[in-house]
Amino acid sequence: MVENNYFVKSFEESSLVIQLVWICIIVLVFSIIFIIIYLKYLRSLLRKNDLLKIKIEKEYEASVINYLYAGNEAEEISAEQQAIIDELKSNISETFKRDILISTLLKLSYEISGEMAESIHKLYIKTGLIDYSLSKLRNKKWNIIANGIRELTLFHVKEVQDQVKIHINHPKTEVRSAMQLYLVNLFHFEGLAFLNDITTPISEWDQIQLLEVLQLHKNQKVADIKSWLKSTNESVVLFALKLAKIYNQYGVKDELMALLNHKNIKIRVDVIPLLSHLSIIEAKIILKNNFKELSLEEQIAFFEMMENVYEKTDKPFIMEHILNPNFEIKFFALKILKNLNIDEFNCFKDLTSEPEFVRIVKYIESN
Amino acid sequence: MKKIVLAEDNSMLSMLLKFRLEKEGYTLFIAENGKETVELIEEHNPELILTDIMMPFISGLEVISHVRNKLNKQTPIIVFSASGQEEIVLKAFKLGATDFMSKPFSPNELVNRVKKILR
Repeated sequence: MVENNYFVKSFEESSLVIQLVWICIIVLVFSIIFIIIYLKYLRSLLRKNDLLKIKIEKEYEASVINYLYAGNEAEEISAEQQAIIDELKSNISETFKRDILISTLLKLSYEISGEMAESIHKLYIKTGLIDYSLSKLRNKKWNIIANGIRELTLFHVKEVQDQVKIHINHPKTEVRSAMQLYLVNLFHFEGLAFLNDITTPISEWDQIQLLEVLQLHKNQKVADIKSWLKSTNESVVLFALKLAKIYNQYGVKDELMALLNHKNIKIRVDVIPLLSHLSIIEAKIILKNNFKELSLEEQIAFFEMMENVYEKTDKPFIMEHILNPNFEIKFFALKILKNLNIDEFNCFKDLTSEPEFVRIVKYIESN
Repeated sequence: MKKIVLAEDNSMLSMLLKFRLEKEGYTLFIAENGKETVELIEEHNPELILTDIMMPFISGLEVISHVRNKLNKQTPIIVFSASGQEEIVLKAFKLGATDFMSKPFSPNELVNRVKKILR
């Protein structure tokens, strides 16, 4: 009591600043104690949830396995399977349990194919999980829309493509990406029809992902890419160029040649190596004649192309550029000259003592 | 009854395959990682080993190497590989794997291969 009176008295007698500091200290100490108690409570709740999740997961795993093996040869739903469906259906109104069931189905779906994979997809539909995925497509939040599309992709739900396609020009890339992957995963080349309607850009990464999915499915008829090469959406044109290269689309020669005059420099530059890859020799003549009007990037791309398509008649043109101010052009010109005529190369290799030129010659001689 | 050791860290897949293979009359021993796999092989001396490649502790490749080089057993080994792991599958064959199945695979096809090997 004496001590308490002493503290109270000294508090009252101290200056305002000291009093405020003491009040802050006391408030902070109580806040910390409260936060520690709350964190302990939260931690025990999370641990309880984890244990519950593991328990529910095990139950669902057993139910799904029993469902898969409870089928009959007539391919109808057996009584046992129906009982399992009804039991799972009663649980999915809770988000927590629904997410566990979806992850359980996916856990197996990633690993197996054939009849069993189709049974899992049917289970996804019969339990009503598909309705939740479809409702996600109508959500205002973009991440939920993307999540819904991903679930429909993973469970191969083809019937809802019209509902997915409405997000073709969604402002968020994640949603557009999910939609594109849905179409290509489920419909392969036919799914690329969205390229006719998309007005938003397709990022380089999205293009790579689409190509990867397409290449997983071999022995399929490649779509007609002509209209995509003429698209007003430049990212569609760039994607079509990639398709033309991977699938050796020799039939689009005219469209590719027309792209040499495209207003986008990246498209003009990217089409040049593709023309070389498809051995479209006419492009060489056009580019050579217009060489001075080309941008530097196009000129470099052209010389890189020339490395594969040079002929003896190109020698005068090559000779004009062995002293080109650009390093890459100089390099390619000298390399081509060496391949065309080693004697002339040896004559011209000492043309100048400029360090860059000498380095290029030394490198070409030793490789 | 012929014994099979199945090394697979996906509990659902291992449950599914256990169910299916036991229905065919085989005895299954399940391992969730490479360390358990080696212990089960040494304890039960199975007629067939089914192993995933990517597993905790010891990978499927090390399991194959252990069986062929340390235990000197010629037990048939079927390896499961994910898509894109072709180089690892080649390594598995060099170490002594008998067959491989690429995921996702059909459980029915696996059962056919198991029956063919254990005839």
